[in-house]
Amino acid sequence: MFKKLDVRTKIIIVLCISTPAVLIQDPYILTAVFAVSILLSLFTGSNLKMVFKKLSNVWYIFLVLVLLQSIFSGSGQKLLSIGGLTILTAGGIIKGVEFVLRLMIIIISATIMTTSNHREIIQGLNQFKVPYEISFMVSVAIRFLPMLSSEIKNTLIAVQLRGIEIEKLKFFKRISLYRYIFYPVLINTVKKAQGISIAMEARAFRAYPYRTSYLILKFRAIDYFIIPVSFLLAISLILYYYFFD
Amino acid sequence: MIYPLEIKNLSFKYAQEGKNILNGLNLKISSSEITAITGPSGSGKSTLCYCIMGIIPHIYQGVLEGDVLIYGRPVSKMKVSEIAVSAGIIFQDPDTQLFSPAVEDDIAFGPENLCIDRKEIDRRIVESLEMTGMQKHRFSDPDRLSGGEKQLIAIASVLSLNPDIIIFDEAMSQLDEKSAARVRSIMGGLKKSGKAVIAVENELKNLKMADCLYVLENGVLHEEEING
Repeated sequence: MFKKLDVRTKIIIVLCISTPAVLIQDPYILTAVFAVSILLSLFTGSNLKMVFKKLSNVWYIFLVLVLLQSIFSGSGQKLLSIGGLTILTAGGIIKGVEFVLRLMIIIISATIMTTSNHREIIQGLNQFKVPYEISFMVSVAIRFLPMLSSEIKNTLIAVQLRGIEIEKLKFFKRISLYRYIFYPVLINTVKKAQGISIAMEARAFRAYPYRTSYLILKFRAIDYFIIPVSFLLAISLILYYYFFD
Repeated sequence: MIYPLEIKNLSFKYAQEGKNILNGLNLKISSSEITAITGPSGSGKSTLCYCIMGIIPHIYQGVLEGDVLIYGRPVSKMKVSEIAVSAGIIFQDPDTQLFSPAVEDDIAFGPENLCIDRKEIDRRIVESLEMTGMQKHRFSDPDRLSGGEKQLIAIASVLSLNPDIIIFDEAMSQLDEKSAARVRSIMGGLKKSGKAVIAVENELKNLKMADCLYVLENGVLHEEEING
């Protein structure tokens, strides 16, 4: 049922989840929103397993974020001090956890959009009256990321085929290798993006101020139910936090 | 007489390059004809295609002299997207020509830009898929197709615009013999339907069906006998 949601409904769901995540600073409410975002992502068919797998590769960034928040917002009970410097406080940890929760909510809710293809996303934005030049720009940006990733993979394979074992390189040598391949990767990706933009222009893109669309999105009964419920819940949550909590 | 495409005294030099890549080119292209252009790598074949499509001077800059006229109108005074109404181009690399998640979306992209209604777009999708023999791939993801299939879809995407001039810029260079034969047969069909076809290729074997053959060398274009 949720898997067949209109892409515009998904955009609204993402907005209704991420807006409270940004505005609310309460770890309990954020945890609840986080749980809802996971449930909705699962219902809409997102590949959460892959997202968590990828996030697990950068877990140390989250740890650094928690520590930085702890150091710089020194509120609450002191938990760890070195000399006169407070390193860890209870308030700091809570702030850090809030920050990470907020980030996770935004990332996980955004995965809901990955269950629609970019043609549907463009059309959804167009039917929301976003100018088509802007929605296509979004689409090219969406396409640019996998292009960049495949370019990096190809370049790293090319480097390995020349006999360099990247895993065995020392940290600084590895950094120097990445710096070495950065420019060719970037230039090739930009060239490909330019190729796409030329191909689009050569197929009459922007020939007229308006364009028709072969794909027309239509709301179903479930969309008419989900949209007001999402708005209602998001607004209630924000009002509850600011006026009653 | 007004030709679909006429090139008058065309010279071009890329910015920061010493010598001209194209030197005083003259060419007239008629309807219902396949014009073949060949030449060694780096001779300026793709540059010539870019000049015809207005990609030079609108996107790639340099020193441009002379004129490229489409039905008597200079392309330098038209936007690339305006030129696309009369002239279509298929590039060598199909990966940069397909940017939609489904084949039918890619084919519909051009007609959508021309503000054509959905019923007519649907008819054009069916027609271009039939011409390229790609009907079974209508709902496929272009990324999952082979190189040859992608190139045929890129051709279908241009055909759906129904331009009068169609340029194949080394479109067969990465194809196997079967797919190249398919492209040659599409060119034949286009010629019969009154289109002006320009086939730019390195390999002469892909240009046997042409009505006239030009060789581009050192920036100069000269006509050759087809069987010579």
